[in-house]
Amino acid sequence: MPKVYILREACKGVVDCDICRFVCPKDVLGKSDMLNRKGYFPPEVVDEDACTQCGNCMVYCPDMAIVVEMRKAKKAAR
Amino acid sequence: MSSVEHPLRKYLRPSVEATTFCPGCGDGTVLTSILQAIDELGMTMDDFVFVSGIGCAAWIISPNFNADVLHTTHGRPIAFATGIKLNLPEKKVMVVSGDGDLTAIGGNHLIHAARRNIEMVVICANNGIYGMTGGQVAPTTPREARTITTPYGSLENTFDISRMVQASGASFVARWTTYQPRQLTKSIKKAIQKKGFAFIEVISQCPVQFGAKTGAGSAVEMLEMYRKSSISVKKAVEMSPQEIEDKIVTGEFIDTAKPELCEEIARLKERIRGEG
Ligand SMILES: Cc1ncc(C[n+]2csc(CCOP(=O)(O)OP(=O)(O)O)c2C)c(N)n1
Ligand code: SF4
Ligand SMILES: [Mg+2]
Repeated sequence: MPKVYILREACKGVVDCDICRFVCPKDVLGKSDMLNRKGYFPPEVVDEDACTQCGNCMVYCPDMAIVVEMRKAKKAAR
Repeated sequence: MSSVEHPLRKYLRPSVEATTFCPGCGDGTVLTSILQAIDELGMTMDDFVFVSGIGCAAWIISPNFNADVLHTTHGRPIAFATGIKLNLPEKKVMVVSGDGDLTAIGGNHLIHAARRNIEMVVICANNGIYGMTGGQVAPTTPREARTITTPYGSLENTFDISRMVQASGASFVARWTTYQPRQLTKSIKKAIQKKGFAFIEVISQCPVQFGAKTGAGSAVEMLEMYRKSSISVKKAVEMSPQEIEDKIVTGEFIDTAKPELCEEIARLKERIRGEG
């Protein structure tokens, strides 16, 4: 699995929501040019290498539309 | 179709494809924070009975959570929850609803449940407006905000819900914004484990009925505003009332132990039986 996975059909779009791109500190996400079935433009991963697996996009997403393979909880950080 | 599934998806009903919320609504972040807390505590949906009132925020748990969920009448979820808790004291009862539902039409239920200190978790998604009905002014609307029913700006003072619930006698009170989902999850975990009335206010963005009409802006603009204007309880006590006027004071206001109603009733029953 990639580090960041977009569940495209669960997303309500970066045009009105865009919370994932706002909370990503590394600009990993861009906007997809392809509508999903509900008619929204989901984000897409444009710079996976930059992803630190902090999990912000997954934690803030109001629609459970992003899954991040979280950094292995080394010291059970939280 | 993808095979990757969100780790919290297992708590939703299989029939749920999407929430009813508008794009960017903070209520979705409240939803995931609640599920994250339940997941981290290692509890199951069978441990809970969820209760909601009427409004957008009432749709956080209903019909999404794959659990016993009661979607009640406007303002009354705490009254229903009280009945449930008294009859099923072994269940965790959680009420999730909006600011209008819990503090306007349902304000008295909130005050008196806190006063009785009955064990339950009440989570109030406070978007400062009546979202579902089109953006009417609420007791939580900031002074001077222009809403569809206050086109020249609201003349009324704003409820400080957390302070009111604390003054009414709750055991646990916290306030976070949707910009602080990790802190929110932590407080929800504490609230679930609390023997007593536990209340969490979540300042949540409604970009459609609040943001667009008052000028607060989009979901992202509102989150940025939350980020900039939030200050911690600890910092707030050192500031003057004027200094904190435009701030959102966040954190845990009270976390204390005191007699809980269900336990008091059980003790009373035992005492009377002993006497008889
Ligand atoms: C007895 C009654 N009065 C009024 C209404 C109309 N009504 C439905 S939702 C709502 C306001 C809900 O506001 P809030 O609790 O803040 O929820 P939000 O939609 O903002 O999340 C009102 C007044 C109703 N359904 N029932
Ligand atoms: S009207 Fe506001 S509170 Fe209701 S779902 Fe839309 S954004 Fe959320
Ligand atoms: Mg509201």
